[in-house]
Amino acid sequence: MTFDYWTLGFQAVNVLVLIWLLHRFFWKPVAAMIAARQATVATLLDEAKAKQAEAEAALAKIAATKAGLAAERDAMLATARKDAQAARETLLAEARAEAEALHATAKAARVRAAETLKANAIDEAQGLALTIAGQLAARLDGPATDAAFLRWLVEGLAALSDTERTALAGVELELVSAADQDSPVQDRIAAAITNALGTPAKLTFRTEPALIAGHELHAPHFSLRNSWRADLDRIAAALGEKGDLSDAA
Amino acid sequence: MDSPLETFPLFMVGPESFAVPIMASVVVTWAIMAVLVLGAALLTRRLTMVPSRAQATAELLVGTVDQQIRDVTGAAPAPYRAFVGTLFLFILIANWSSLIPGVTPPTATMETPAALAAIVFLSIIFFGIRGGGVGGFLRGFALPNPVMIPLNMLESITRSISMFVRLFGNVMSGVFVIAIVGSLAALLVPIPLMVLDLLTGAVQAYIFAVLSMVFITSAVEKGKPQTAPETKES
Repeated sequence: MTFDYWTLGFQAVNVLVLIWLLHRFFWKPVAAMIAARQATVATLLDEAKAKQAEAEAALAKIAATKAGLAAERDAMLATARKDAQAARETLLAEARAEAEALHATAKAARVRAAETLKANAIDEAQGLALTIAGQLAARLDGPATDAAFLRWLVEGLAALSDTERTALAGVELELVSAADQDSPVQDRIAAAITNALGTPAKLTFRTEPALIAGHELHAPHFSLRNSWRADLDRIAAALGEKGDLSDAA
Repeated sequence: MDSPLETFPLFMVGPESFAVPIMASVVVTWAIMAVLVLGAALLTRRLTMVPSRAQATAELLVGTVDQQIRDVTGAAPAPYRAFVGTLFLFILIANWSSLIPGVTPPTATMETPAALAAIVFLSIIFFGIRGGGVGGFLRGFALPNPVMIPLNMLESITRSISMFVRLFGNVMSGVFVIAIVGSLAALLVPIPLMVLDLLTGAVQAYIFAVLSMVFITSAVEKGKPQTAPETKES
């Protein structure tokens, strides 16, 4: 067995030198790199945490904003709904008023048309009645008809009150006849009227073919209509009143 | 076959009257040193935040050594990293150098494990004095009581000797067995033994490094001022 102390010393020095060299070139730089990376990672983690906190804060802010937007949206919707309801009611009221106006206008037009039709019908009826009455009167015995109308005139005067008859005394009366009256007839008429009034009458005679048949007595404040024309007018008036009553019903 | 306990100089340096023998183990050690230092220099020349595969491997090695130191001592690894880590790397590479044909591992000769054990012995004293001062380091021998001083001093020597003998014995025996088997059946038969020798080499490197750390930590802890144990008041 041999043990070389030189070799022991060489190996001891070699190992010590190797420890120093590896400390210088391996352990120290690698450990420093690991520490630097750990520090970097720690810094990055801290920054990431800070960023995360910022992001969470921003997220919370956005959530709050969204909530505010939702509330604002609801409020706007409610306002819009309210406005729409009001506009709808306004439109409905306007439409209703317009419809009522149209209805009233149409009703008035309908009434006017009905009245016009009725008036036209009455006019036509009157015309027809006048035609018929004229034709009838032409076929009747003229003196007999005149006598009948004169009798009805006298009866009308007799039906007046005494006050009315007294008021007619001395007043100039106009006797309107449907046909020309000759003097004897005029005298007989004047006598009959004087007899009916009880006082002499101041008569003037006038011919009006529109009366068809009969005699009418007129004064400034008195009128006694006794002719077919008057009868037709009364009938027309009665028809008009009846039509008005029908419309009212 | 030469005796594994016998070593022969590879060449001599110096004047003939004072010639210094250079053993093969020294040359192999220089080669291992050259490989380790050059490799480390190349590896750490361009360290980046985003590591390459080689840098990641180096960082893994450093991290593992640090973690082992923390697990064994509970102390910060920085003061011991270079010492313990270099011991582990050197012994591992030296043990595994037996795989190169014609190379005898430096740890298979007595001088190299003896030198490593001597360095550990001295480093225990160095770290013990640095941790607790000369007084603290010497007080550590009187624990648990002064009667133990001779035994503790003897133990501090014998444990270093045991480290030397353990490393030398395991590596030398592995090399010797492989050499014997290889002389009998040179082809393929020694391979399982070489694989076993790889495992033995790694284990011995780990054991040597961890025991060094344990002894150093023990010396440092013993040198620290003792705190009075807490007593519970009833």
